[in-house]
Amino acid sequence: MNFPCQEVERHNKPEVELKTSPELLLNPVLICRNEAEKCLIETSINSLRISIKVKQANELENILTKRFLRFLSMRAEAFQVLRRKPVQGYDISFLVTNYHCEDMHKNKLIDFIVQFMEDIDKEIYELKLSVNTRGKLVATEFLKQFL
Amino acid sequence: MAFFDKASPVLKEILLKLYSAEKPLEIDHQIYEFGSLQYHIQASASEPHHAYLSVSTSLQSPGVLTTDGLQNCTLQNLKRIYSDVIEVIEPPNEGYQLTLRIKFSELPQSKDECIKIITEISSLQAVIVSSQLKKMLWNFGSQDTTYGMHKPIKFIYHPGEPFYVIRLAQKITVIFPMRFKENSDIIIATTLFQELTDVGRSRKFAKAPPCTWSPIPPPELRGEPLEDLSTNGGFVSFDFFSRHIEGKVSKLDKTVWNLLNFYSYVKQHVKSTRGFIQRRMRKKVEHLSEILQKATLTGGEHIQKTHKGHGFKKKLIRLSTSKMLRGKCAIFFNKIRSRIKIQGFERFRRKWLRVPKLYSLRRYTKLD
Repeated sequence: MNFPCQEVERHNKPEVELKTSPELLLNPVLICRNEAEKCLIETSINSLRISIKVKQANELENILTKRFLRFLSMRAEAFQVLRRKPVQGYDISFLVTNYHCEDMHKNKLIDFIVQFMEDIDKEIYELKLSVNTRGKLVATEFLKQFL
Repeated sequence: MAFFDKASPVLKEILLKLYSAEKPLEIDHQIYEFGSLQYHIQASASEPHHAYLSVSTSLQSPGVLTTDGLQNCTLQNLKRIYSDVIEVIEPPNEGYQLTLRIKFSELPQSKDECIKIITEISSLQAVIVSSQLKKMLWNFGSQDTTYGMHKPIKFIYHPGEPFYVIRLAQKITVIFPMRFKENSDIIIATTLFQELTDVGRSRKFAKAPPCTWSPIPPPELRGEPLEDLSTNGGFVSFDFFSRHIEGKVSKLDKTVWNLLNFYSYVKQHVKSTRGFIQRRMRKKVEHLSEILQKATLTGGEHIQKTHKGHGFKKKLIRLSTSKMLRGKCAIFFNKIRSRIKIQGFERFRRKWLRVPKLYSLRRYTKLD
């Protein structure tokens, strides 16, 4: 809902970011699978912030996740709802304001975020598998030369 | 070493040009390769059937170069391979370790064979570089103690990429200290090293040299300078037994060439894997942006607009010649029109054709 700033006239900023008035903030929801995989949903009168922490089981997953999320953050303007800098302790954050809800179909926006959460895990896992497979193929080809 | 192909492409091209030229050519070229190789190729019209090729390498491995040029083993190898077509000139040209006279008149009549021989001559650097290691591996099992036993010998064929060869009674161990610039490179390369270890242990590759990777220096390198042992990618070791070396000469050649190219092989793998990850991420981002585009009420016009500036939504537009000409004409006429000035038109435009500014409701104006 469109809700201008209570303190400064003609200002309209996402309250979830500024947190100027506590009465405009709702209780945050933290969904945790474990310490390494969690999702924080912070809500306010005119905006919503979703932060995701992606599972990084080993160094390869860690580096792939970092690279992928950095790649996304650098293209944040293509995804209007993506926050350039994630909330501390999380890997990626989305900021949905009332303007986004006016411009977009709400259900499709939710679908996008859900699909993003599903895809990110899948993508990292597939990338990890591909890197390992490539390594195996290259190792095989190298050793084949000695046979 | 930074090459997979033995033959130098530039040298090969120049030699082929000299060979196929109808008139004798005057050529005096200096070529630098990989920062450690220098070629000087000369041909003059007065000697139409001869060309002179000088080579200089800045190899830092002990014993590769003698004070006055290349080691005997290298010269013997060269003479054995190119006995008919080339002649070693002594002393070599000033500033070079080796000068060869290439006799084009001695080349066979068949064109294919000639190309083959020229390719072999172009791979001169491979012969020079691999001679010492080849000699060392060739003498494996004999009581020759030229290079010492149990003592690591450091080979530097490329700056910053040394490797060690340790000769033991039963085997020869080659150890590569691995260094990388970026953390992501270390992880990608480590995956390869672990796969090399695992694949080498499999039954199918029982005959391949066993490979081991360790993040700490192996005990064989104890006593070596600390700066050589401080790596971020660990140490990769290959153990060679007599079965990997004995037999055909080509087998030994292949083994030596593979060892010399190991650094390049790893670097190439890291580079291509990074490219692969980048391509895949780009594809995924495109897919995700399409989903978000569908969510917009206006059919994603706004998103398409933002995409245009960022490259990953680029589309090549092919225009017909007539359309391109029409476009060029329009630009030309616009340029002319902009130079024609009508007196008083600007004042008229400001007064009567002014478009009032509309402020967006979403725009914030900070109050003083």
